[in-house]
Order: sequence, then C-alpha cells, then structure tokens
Amino acid sequence: MKIDCTIDGKTLTLSLNSDKPLSLILRENTGDDAVVNHCNGAMCGLCTVLVDGKAMLSCMVPAFEIRGKTVTTFDSFRKTKNMKDIEKAYESVGSFPCQDCYASRSLIFESLIDEGITDPEEILKELSIIKCPCMDPEDEINIVLKGIEARRKRNVRRTQFA
Amino acid sequence: MYEGLSSPNIHTPNNLGEYASTILHYPTSSLWAGGTFIMSRPDSYPSRTMNAEIIYLGDIEELHRFQRNDRFAEFGSMVTLDEIVSTGKTVLPHVLIDNIQTIGSRLITRRATIGGTISTKGFTTSFPGTLITLDTTAEVKFIKKKRLHSRWMQITRLLDKSGRIALPPQGMISRVRIAFSEKNCQFFSEVGSFMLDPENSVAVAFTATLDQDILINPKIAFTYPTHGICYSRDIDSIFSSLRFPLDDSEISTLESMIFTFVESSFQNISDLQRTRTSGIVREIVDDLNERTLTVSNESR
Repeated sequence: MKIDCTIDGKTLTLSLNSDKPLSLILRENTGDDAVVNHCNGAMCGLCTVLVDGKAMLSCMVPAFEIRGKTVTTFDSFRKTKNMKDIEKAYESVGSFPCQDCYASRSLIFESLIDEGITDPEEILKELSIIKCPCMDPEDEINIVLKGIEARRKRNVRRTQFA
Repeated sequence: MYEGLSSPNIHTPNNLGEYASTILHYPTSSLWAGGTFIMSRPDSYPSRTMNAEIIYLGDIEELHRFQRNDRFAEFGSMVTLDEIVSTGKTVLPHVLIDNIQTIGSRLITRRATIGGTISTKGFTTSFPGTLITLDTTAEVKFIKKKRLHSRWMQITRLLDKSGRIALPPQGMISRVRIAFSEKNCQFFSEVGSFMLDPENSVAVAFTATLDQDILINPKIAFTYPTHGICYSRDIDSIFSSLRFPLDDSEISTLESMIFTFVESSFQNISDLQRTRTSGIVREIVDDLNERTLTVSNESR
C-alpha cells in the first residue's frame, strides 16, 4: 500500500503494509534516527509522537490512518520554539525528566500546553500513560502551567511586533 | 520477519451506503473503529491471522455525529470516549463518566470509540456493563436480503448466553442512545488493568434509586474481560428485596447469592477476580449503608 504523509517536515510516499504500526514505520521505513520505542502494544507511553499536533501513541496508529497527516517526532520537535518554551518551564520549575522518558514526556507536555489545559487532574491523567517515576506530579502540573504562560507571552510579543 | 506477510486491503467508505456495498462485496471483512484493542494485542503486527480485508469506519460522517435532547444523548458509534466526556460531563450519568475516566490517559480515550468498546471481538471491555445498568439502546445495522437494515435494541438484548456482546452477522453498531439517569446511587469500580492483566481484573457498574431504606430499580453488571458480562435480573431483584443498612451476615449471604449467579455463568473466574468482586460488592453495600444511615439521622 502506498501512503502519502509528512514526517518531520518531509513529504514522503511510503510503500508498506497497511496495518503496520507507526512506531515501526518510524524505526524501519523513514530512514532517520527517530527516537521511538516499540513496545508492541504494551502501552508504555514511550512511543509518543504528535499526529497533526496531538500526542498519540505511535504503536496504536496503523499505517492507513496516517494518510495525508503530519507526524512530528521528538527529533524534529526538539529544534522548534515550542520546545524552548518547555525547556524554560523545566528550568524554572527545577525538574527535568530522565533520559528514557524525556522525548515522550516533552511531547505530551506540548500537547497539553497547545490545548491550554490547566486542570491539574486532567494534566496528571494525560501524563499517567508514562509509568517512569522520575518526576513529581506537582512539578508536572507546574511545568504545564509555566509552559502555557511562556507560550502566551511569546504569542503576545509576536502580535505586538506584527 | 515480515516474509510472506500480505498487506490487508483497507476499504474506507464515506457514508453508510458505501459501507453497505463494501460489506456485501467482502462479507468476511473486519470492521476497524479506533483500533485501540486490535493494536494493543502483542500479535497485532506482524500477524498472519489478521483478516485480509479491513473496513475502516472513521471516514463515515454519520457515525461521528452526536445530539441530545432533554431525555437522552445520542452518539454515533465513532464518537471517541474523550469527546463523550468533553461534551457531556455535566449531563451524562456520572457512572459513565467514571467508567471513561478509569480507562486512563486521554492518549487512549482520544482514539477509543464508543462503538468499538461495545463490540470488541473476543474480549469484553468495562463499557457495555455500564451501559446495561443505564438501560442504553443501540442502533444495530445489519445486512438482510442484500439490503442494509437497522434496528434499535437494548444492550442487554445483545448479550448472548456466554455473556458476550453478539451482533448479527455483518452487523455493526451505528448509534448509541444513553438516557439521562436520575438514579441517585451510581457506582463504578474497576480493579486491575483490563488491557494489561485481563485474567485477573473485574469491573462492576451499579445504578439504583435509594428511597429511604430500599432500592428502586437497581441494576448491577459484573464484567470479566476474558469471560464476558454477568448481568441477571435475578441479582437485581435480590437487591430490590433488601432493606438497608445490612449487617455482616446479610452481606455474606448477598455475596454468596451473587457468586452463585456469577459462577453459573462463568465457571473458571480466577481466585483474585473472586476476591476483587467480593471487595467491590462490600464497597457498594458500605456506601449504601452509609447513605441510609445518613438519611435516617438527618430525618430525626
């Protein structure tokens, strides 16, 4: 099956099995060094990617569902201004995720910041998919709140200059 | 690893008319809703047992609609659980909202659909049990004499003898109608992980109206993921015959009566499931006892 999609800013036409999970596509077909885990459906949360800006578990997305969609892995996301907001939030809270879950946790933070979710319960529920105990729940909430604040400030500055 | 593996054909009908003609051409095809269950099986890919034809329902616009009036909310089968919570958190029965929230992160509920959670093949999610206690009805579309027919049925009518949801051949659920419940006792509990440890987990949904010390129209459904749903009107009538508060011996009698029904349906539930079921029943009774005593103290 031929599938047209955009992965990390590159428009690709991939020829692959229609039910192949996105996590395996990123590891085997795209040719870049995307840091994505493939847990074979164990819901480890470490295979998170952004599909059209929303965090998703790539092991749950079959190939035919990414047709015409934009997939962003942490590899390209780390170079964006949005990641800088999250890094600033990590610094101001004084808490950083460990190396294992840094990528997926940052992508989930981005999804929460982008949606502007401030309800602590919702934030913790969304992050509950990652089982790694490296972060304090209170820090997670503060990072999202700081991230939203940083994003808002940046947007205001941008509109002022425009 | 992938040698000899054929790629399934994906059919993406855009409306129910196209769906009918596709299912007529490929009667043995599998229906694909959110895919959360299929993709989370360890052998989902590469799989040689997977059907060669898949009908993806995500592009059918009719299945994404939802509407409500003052009596019920009606959801298309492809409405995701996350959309249900965000649109109906304040109006839908809280037993349903509790059920969705116990499923876990929005990364999963954003993909899981209401139709998919009801009609998962060979596995029972906690959702249909909760819908049974809410007297939910579903519109089932099926092929008869080469034409697409539809019928509204109560979810209880979809249960087969083994406690599984059984749809007619080539049938699918297109809409689900959930009534706004006014029952004042609504309880949902899931112990263990349905997806990661199905052999040992159990979910119980309970709804009733507590009037002084008796229950009116109680409904209780026990869900064992690998076995099915245990729902019986006989258990409901046992609950309606009770007068609260119950003492320890009455609770033990109630438990043994419940297990008689559960074990007549599913002989081989695990010891852990048995213990967990008993714990949840006690939790429900404790809650009802507390409410009865609070009401009787307030009325004095």
